[in-house]
Amino acid sequence: MALLAQMDPDDVESPPAIRAHGLVKTFGALRAVDDVTFDLAPGRIYGLLGPNGSGKTTLIRLLTGLTLPTSGWAEVLGTRMPSRPNLGRIGYMTQSDGVYAALTVAENVRFFGAAYGVEGDEPVGHALEIVDLADRRSSIVGTLSGGQRRRLSLACALVHRPPVLFLDEPTVGVDPLLRVQFWAHFRALSDGGTTIVVSSHVMDEADRCDELLFVRSGKITARGTGQEIRVRAGTADLEQAFLRLGGNVEVTR
Amino acid sequence: MSRRRVVALFRRVVSEIRRDRPSLALLFIAPIVITGLVTFILRESQAPQVTAVVVNLAGPRGQAVGDALGAALRTGGATVTDVADEGAARASIADTSVSVGIVLRAGAATGSPLDITVITNGLDPSGDAGQVAAVQRSVLAAVTSASGTAIPAIDHTTVYGTPTDDPVTNFAPAIVAFFAYFFVYILTGVSFLRERTGGTLERLMATPVTRGEVVLGYTLGFGLFATIQVAVLMLWALGSLHIGALGPLPAFSIGLGIAANGSPILAFVVVVLLAVGAVSLGIFLSTFARTELQVIQFIPIVLAPQFLLSGVLFPVSSLPSILKPLVAIMPLNYAVDGLRQVFVRGADLGVPALQLDLVVLGIVAAFFATIAAFTIRRDVV
Repeated sequence: MALLAQMDPDDVESPPAIRAHGLVKTFGALRAVDDVTFDLAPGRIYGLLGPNGSGKTTLIRLLTGLTLPTSGWAEVLGTRMPSRPNLGRIGYMTQSDGVYAALTVAENVRFFGAAYGVEGDEPVGHALEIVDLADRRSSIVGTLSGGQRRRLSLACALVHRPPVLFLDEPTVGVDPLLRVQFWAHFRALSDGGTTIVVSSHVMDEADRCDELLFVRSGKITARGTGQEIRVRAGTADLEQAFLRLGGNVEVTR
Repeated sequence: MSRRRVVALFRRVVSEIRRDRPSLALLFIAPIVITGLVTFILRESQAPQVTAVVVNLAGPRGQAVGDALGAALRTGGATVTDVADEGAARASIADTSVSVGIVLRAGAATGSPLDITVITNGLDPSGDAGQVAAVQRSVLAAVTSASGTAIPAIDHTTVYGTPTDDPVTNFAPAIVAFFAYFFVYILTGVSFLRERTGGTLERLMATPVTRGEVVLGYTLGFGLFATIQVAVLMLWALGSLHIGALGPLPAFSIGLGIAANGSPILAFVVVVLLAVGAVSLGIFLSTFARTELQVIQFIPIVLAPQFLLSGVLFPVSSLPSILKPLVAIMPLNYAVDGLRQVFVRGADLGVPALQLDLVVLGIVAAFFATIAAFTIRRDVV
């Protein structure tokens, strides 16, 4: 707690939005998530950075309660996961688009809205406005471009205005312009109080996050702002920092 | 269980199928075409054409018998010619210009009846049986006319319904049940597999939606289309709408006009229960499939035994006794039997056999719905 207090004194008062304690998930001999413990403060953007297969998705699935931990626990907004009612306060944008190709854009958002318990046109319109798809609301999803589907996927995760948002590699396959737009949305949401966890294996997105968590072989190998991590690793290059801090488990609390 | 979420799932499933034209064709047009074709084949099958050759190897006595047989066969519409030897008869049967050969030989002892050998092609057992039966009838007719005694006529009545010449009446229930089962299984299996592989199920499970709500939403959505399918199929099977001649169009009728003795509503309940079971079966089996092709590959394992052992093709009573215990565990069997109870026997809810069918179908539907729900998110309580 001491490190966090030094970094961001404002957040000490409010309880963490997301907590993990001794989280372990094994698949046979593989330890996909290996003893992960952290507290994430509300209203900030956290970047989960790590190569493919490092355990980012499994960690997000544990935090959302989509998979059960082998040991340890996860809490979101003070509620132990898995908790189905609590899922109504969480948005989850999966790595695959996870939208229905035969339905229209608006039908997809409305459906996921209903699944989250919000009804009516207003939330649908709002979510489509955020991702700039309002003019395509009647299009069949099968006719959309890859980037448009990605935006729709984000809208489906936002429709119920969740205070906690998990985004699993949201910018994969997204062109640079759209990527900038996405990050502008994320920043706007976080300014509005939303806690966002973004996973990525692209280091150039790291500096857009308030804080980074390096993930390697299921462990959090380093945590801090981009600047702090650079200083700690003694390099200006985050990729170099990732490699240098890869074996250093101590940095995590 | 939230009614709103179930309704949302139901509406989503319905919108997806509504836009999927090939699936709609599979649900509505394919069964109509196939039942129409089957009915046409069963009703309009040609009586076997008899083209006989008689080979007389028994002298004047054989000649007299051969003439009497020939006359009787001709009365029945057959063409009859005489040939000199058996080899020529066999050659004609082999090249299919002749359907049956009758060889007359003198009996072993003096005064004993003639030996009659019937030769057929041997490639089509049921066709051959028809040829032999035609010869037997002509033998009987020849003997009767020679002795001057008349054969008593046989009058056929039935306990249920009336004796009908329409072979479709017994077959239609089986076909209706099979289609409802088959198409609903295929559509649900493929649709749910897409849900699993397309990432939408993962996403759905990250919402407050419960497994029970998913199964119920799917059952209602596909159940609606199964219900409409069965209604259309029933209308087509039972109805007969006569259209008068119009201009150059000759008069014709729409519908198969199959006679049903019981309430169509009851028949409908039987098929809907079966279809609900098929939805859950599709969801359940999609767990074990990775691709859409694999859903199709379950057909020989899951549907073919039911097709063979549920009285669709072969009557259950004619099955080998070792297979009969298997019949008891085939859901389709209860639907086929239930529909036959209603269609042929005119059963109502007071008939114990129909009650059993309905109860078993209900239990099967509930059982598969439960295990389907468990397959949706095996990992999480």
